[in-house]
Amino acid sequence: MGRADSLAKLAWAYGLHQARRRVSRPKSQLPALLDTYTREGIRPLTAAEYAEHPRLVTCINCGLCAFAATRMGKTRLPDLASSYMRLYARVGDAASDLAAESGAAEPDFAAASAVCPVGLPLADVAAVVRRLTAG
Amino acid sequence: MSAAPSAHDVCVIGGGVTGAGIARDLSMRGLSVLLLDKGDWGAGTTGASSWMIHGGPRYLEFDWDTTRLSTQDAGYIVSIARNLVYRVVFLIPVLPHDRNNIERMETAMEVYDRFQPLKKAHPHRRLTPEEAHRAEPGLAPDILGAVTMEEWGIDPHRLVWANVEDAIAHGARALNHTRVTELIRDAGKVIGVRYRGADGASSEARARVVVNATGPWSADIAGMAGVKVHLRPAKGIHIVYPHRISNFAISAESIDGRDLLMVSHAGFTLLGTTDDDFYGDLDAVDVLQDEVDYLLQGFERVFPDIRRYRPVRTTTGVRPTLFKWRKYEDELSRRYEVIDHAREGVEGLVTIAGGKLSMYRLMAEETSDAVCRKLGHQAPCTTATTPLPGNESEMEPAAELAARCGIPALAVVKLQSRHGSRAEKVLDAGKSTRIVCRCEPLTESELVYAAGHEQVRSLADAFRRVGVAAGPCAGAACVLRAAEIVGRELGWSASQRFEAARDFVQGAWLGRAPVLDHAGWAQEELAQGAFRGLRIG
Repeated sequence: MGRADSLAKLAWAYGLHQARRRVSRPKSQLPALLDTYTREGIRPLTAAEYAEHPRLVTCINCGLCAFAATRMGKTRLPDLASSYMRLYARVGDAASDLAAESGAAEPDFAAASAVCPVGLPLADVAAVVRRLTAG
Repeated sequence: MSAAPSAHDVCVIGGGVTGAGIARDLSMRGLSVLLLDKGDWGAGTTGASSWMIHGGPRYLEFDWDTTRLSTQDAGYIVSIARNLVYRVVFLIPVLPHDRNNIERMETAMEVYDRFQPLKKAHPHRRLTPEEAHRAEPGLAPDILGAVTMEEWGIDPHRLVWANVEDAIAHGARALNHTRVTELIRDAGKVIGVRYRGADGASSEARARVVVNATGPWSADIAGMAGVKVHLRPAKGIHIVYPHRISNFAISAESIDGRDLLMVSHAGFTLLGTTDDDFYGDLDAVDVLQDEVDYLLQGFERVFPDIRRYRPVRTTTGVRPTLFKWRKYEDELSRRYEVIDHAREGVEGLVTIAGGKLSMYRLMAEETSDAVCRKLGHQAPCTTATTPLPGNESEMEPAAELAARCGIPALAVVKLQSRHGSRAEKVLDAGKSTRIVCRCEPLTESELVYAAGHEQVRSLADAFRRVGVAAGPCAGAACVLRAAEIVGRELGWSASQRFEAARDFVQGAWLGRAPVLDHAGWAQEELAQGAFRGLRIG
């Protein structure tokens, strides 16, 4: 099967496509798209999260925040930004790491951010990671 | 020269994904195989790829059979290496003045949808500009719409190792850091190889057939037998970010109209690639600032915030593209060719040239078929359906294994992505659940296992095998710890551990320097502090 044959078949497919577009009314495909991949553990960032996103992934894993605040659930604070924030899919499988014991105090994110050499807003990081792991 | 030559049915030179695939295929057919690589498994072209098993929609313009074959083989790989693959969903935005308008793009995707079930992928979707921005808020404001397309991402380093490991399990002998110095010939026939091992000792191996699977180095090996392999090597680079950037993988067009991709993986984003004729030293390929700017410029048009993100390194490699005159690099076919050099009067030597990661299994099958024909050996290929190591059974839920073994569930997720259903066996082997590399995260057990069972001989090998120092800290927090652990397992002295860390840091710097900027320098200062005392430079 050569190039001419391939192009001819593409041209035919293009004609069919245009005809279909003329006779059928297109409906939104976004819900189906998001549903398909959310079910597979690929969870998109919202527009609000995305606006902050470049600042949320600047962690260089120096570990200084661990001195100011220790853990969220079973997770050391630096790992939130350097590990959990990175994951594209399957982050929901690690939700058990972040579950706080009842009565446990929230880490002092403000103190942790104050010592961060790249100014990471750790409270915002924690909020995004929590939402992504919770689904 | 030391011991008597070892004897094998086949010697495969080149431990990229194709060579490893050939070694696995032939050993599963019952032949005795020796596999040699001058560096580490997958350290050349394979590791510098886009980490994609894709079906090849670009071939729709040229040859639908190639798309079908490529998609079918991607499906086989997805089936036999489930733990190594990630679903990658592309969002292809259409901008004003793009080569293809939205109707043409959707037509191509409608055709591609016919092949998608072969690789267990979903059909495309079409989005209005508003929907595309809701799905991917970082897209440029002037897009006219978008279509989606699904492919598979893969960890190429683990894919190569899984093939090597399975070849060994089927009786093959596999030696990395072992350079072939000469093809042994008898009256024009290639009858074996001379090689120098990691310890510097020279050895000989006799083989009834020698397979040259050395990618861009194919011409060098063929030259040892006095024959030519005509390639047109093409350099490609990628920028690597140690985190997700976008919700979907995104395609873009470069200033010269080439297709660029930003691919989201488990914990990384790869942005690439360039495609330039390469005439230099294949063992010393540098990334140029111009190449980085070329990629960023292309992506900025569809994803304006791209320069706000901090890359952690670059990768570079050379494609073994088959030779063709009067074509731009990007127009060159990714087809491959199995060359039996008997037609040039050299018996016993077969070269596999060209190709791409996505079709490695098929390339290995066809090369193995050619070898078996030469040997009169009749055994069918079974690599399309036999699972690679770690895929023999279902993986345990991450939280359950984490609770039982006392490590974070995230560490289990990453462990399973490398070892699949063998994850617990790996944890048991090392007997230490301490996290060595927090970015990945990587347990001491896994690193111990890699040193003891996965032919790790340097920290760069450990980087490839288990991802040590691959994350945002670029090794600042873990290289010295890793050197201690690997050194302990391999019996390194204190000075050898020091040298191993220094070698790794120096090697990594070459890939990092071209993308240092703003926050990158903060990270670099931290790394320099951590490595103070190594006297680098």
